[in-house]
Amino acid sequence: MAPDPAPVPAPAPPVLVLRRATVAYEREPVVEGVDGEVAAGQSVALIGPNGAGKSTLIRAVLGLVPLTSGTIQVLGRSPQAARRQVAYVPQADTLDAEFPVSALQVTLMGRYPRVGWVRRPGPADRQVAARALAEVGLAERASARFGTLSGGQRQRVLLARAIAQEPRLLLLDEPFNGVDALSQDLLLAALARLRAGGAAVVMATHDLGLAHLACDEVCLLNRHQIGFGPIGTTLTPELLRATYGGQALQLRGDGVIVARP
Amino acid sequence: MSLLEAFGDGFARRALLEAVMVGGLCGAVGVHVLLRRLPFFTMALGHATFPGVVLAGLVGISLFAGAAAFGAVVVVVVALLGARDRVDDTSAVGVTLSGAFALGVLLLSAQAGFSRDLTAYLVGSIVTVRPGDLVTTAVVGAATLAVLAALHKELVLGAFDRGGLAALGYPVLALDVVLLLVVEATVVTSIPAVGTILAVALVVAPAATARLWTERLRATMALAAALGAASGVVGLAISLQWRVAAGATIVLVAAALFAVSLVVAPRHGLLASLR
Amino acid sequence: MNLLQPFTIPYMQRALVEVLVLGALAGAVGVLVVLRRLAFVGDALTHTVFPGVVIAHLLGRSLLLGALAFGVLTAVLLTTLGGHRRVGDDAALAILLTSFFSVGVVLISRTRGFTADLTVFLFGRVLAVDRADLLQTLAVAAVAAVVLLLLHKELVLRAFDPEATAAMGYRTGALDLVLNLLIALVVVAAVEAVGTVLVIALMVVPAAAARLLADRVAAMTALACLLGAAGGWLGLAVSYEVSVDHGVRLAAGATIVVVLVGLFLLAAALAPLRRRVVTR
Repeated sequence: MAPDPAPVPAPAPPVLVLRRATVAYEREPVVEGVDGEVAAGQSVALIGPNGAGKSTLIRAVLGLVPLTSGTIQVLGRSPQAARRQVAYVPQADTLDAEFPVSALQVTLMGRYPRVGWVRRPGPADRQVAARALAEVGLAERASARFGTLSGGQRQRVLLARAIAQEPRLLLLDEPFNGVDALSQDLLLAALARLRAGGAAVVMATHDLGLAHLACDEVCLLNRHQIGFGPIGTTLTPELLRATYGGQALQLRGDGVIVARP
Repeated sequence: MSLLEAFGDGFARRALLEAVMVGGLCGAVGVHVLLRRLPFFTMALGHATFPGVVLAGLVGISLFAGAAAFGAVVVVVVALLGARDRVDDTSAVGVTLSGAFALGVLLLSAQAGFSRDLTAYLVGSIVTVRPGDLVTTAVVGAATLAVLAALHKELVLGAFDRGGLAALGYPVLALDVVLLLVVEATVVTSIPAVGTILAVALVVAPAATARLWTERLRATMALAAALGAASGVVGLAISLQWRVAAGATIVLVAAALFAVSLVVAPRHGLLASLR
Repeated sequence: MNLLQPFTIPYMQRALVEVLVLGALAGAVGVLVVLRRLAFVGDALTHTVFPGVVIAHLLGRSLLLGALAFGVLTAVLLTTLGGHRRVGDDAALAILLTSFFSVGVVLISRTRGFTADLTVFLFGRVLAVDRADLLQTLAVAAVAAVVLLLLHKELVLRAFDPEATAAMGYRTGALDLVLNLLIALVVVAAVEAVGTVLVIALMVVPAAAARLLADRVAAMTALACLLGAAGGWLGLAVSYEVSVDHGVRLAAGATIVVVLVGLFLLAAALAPLRRRVVTR
């Protein structure tokens, strides 16, 4: 009789689990019914028009806004409990460009959750930060003041900060907005490396083309979830039209969709 | 305590009239101050007109004119400073406020040490208001309200969407200056009643209270003016009865109205949000 | 003009130490005040400690303790009351500070010597600082310096990127409370020496000037401390010289502030030149 086959290791638990998550603001739902899972190494694009609730959802995953109903679990725990393992990359233009910090110092901020209160980052932390900056192609601008960098470069620094945090889940809010082509490529490459290392990525974006390049799954949102699944089967003309309403056009021929965000 | 009895004497009746006028004016202007997020600036204006008052005293012209003129200078300085790189509006106001006030203190101490007029200037002395002051208040008040009425829609749009106002071709900077000068005129007019330090309270509190009760802008302005005037009357009466500083009492009444509204207002109060 | 000779006199020596310590402390805390645009909060605190001082005075207790009690109360109130949608933070702050101040004015207006007391509170008496006052100032400065050193990186992070601070798991409310308390400490320490109106100058002006010239928080802090101390020293020297040698009485505290504003204007003039030199 053939021996039992080697036991198959159980699949790793998903990094992020959303079950009918709903966030309301003064009894008005802002985003509701979000349902899906993101496994390690996977990448999900949050797609939807302005006001669809993408930023709100990200904030809910960060534990910054409470859920009105449903659940969100990060690494099997509540969002607040898992914060150390979650890195957030905001849009670079939300930050004060005149603030007196260098690119390296900003990247170093990503080490703070590991360093803890009061203590200063040490040489090992500095090495991690320097490597993270190199990953986004800004090693030689490490001592430049953050505000002297271009928009795309600043966005890369913020990603480096997230990389330095060595997170299991990465949340990005419109990371490619107003970013030059070179920075885009470098961002995409760095994100791919993060995923190869096992991190899960969730990014809100308007850019359908970049979503195809960077993500394997997509969550379509317009105040409620319209679809959540692999990009090939979910990013379809019908679902896109449902997401963007009257703002989605269909071109004849290939059925290419141009949606105005 | 009989309200009528409290206002029997001539000085008290003048004070009452001043309180009503100043309260009403501050309330109406206050709504714009809140829309444009100018409370700190208003406060700074109060402090910064100080050198103007001292100079006017030295030179011998009307204190009001001195304060008004210097206030206008301050408005310009703050606008210019804030436009520079790496100087944000708050710091620009902080630097200007400190510098101007220190200048006033210097002038005063160089003159002959501090005089009794200082306190009246800082915390008001409404009971020594003269008929001439009443006329000034009435004229400035009427002019200010007329300007606000004439430019109402532009000011509201500018507060809400500065870019939109510019896109429509309006001179945004000029309108800014007009509003700042309106605020300045209001603050200077309030000095005899509540003094420079407390003027900002009479401008901000009734308007903040009114915003908790109504949504529509014109109703807010009317309500704010009414609350301002009411605070003036009630505050004055209490201060006359208990012989305490009038300006401060007026401010405390306005603040109390605000605090109560914060709790009980139907849509925006604390009790409402708990339901 | 002699910058050292006035300080052979004991009361001038004490005043000098007082303004050097205050200038440095206010400069360091002021960096955070300026970066977070909290000048109004600082200004509010200078007014809200007034009733504390008045009550302490009426009860015959230490003025510092009275100011401290109200300073802490204000810091707590500010931290917990922020964020109401219909009432902007600015409006709430203005109402809070004027109500507190009014309470102080009402209390003090019932006493005789109303004018003199108010004057001292507003403008300070740095030349009347005695050894006990100096020790108090040093103690408060030491506490504030320790807190600042321990929590520096967290406070700077909070100033730069509040969202990331929250996302990383820090309690931004706690950090805000710490900063508000630091500001309260500086105000309390400085009130008796330079008066309330001028405290805000010590906190905002050197730091605002340093911001124009520095590209790193560390450099900005060092420069702010330096400018604060220098302004104190120069201001005292100038006010002494003009008062004693030329017969024009210049209030010491006010002279210090005018010197500081002068330094700020100098920094503002130099800043564009510097940017041309530092080509990066």
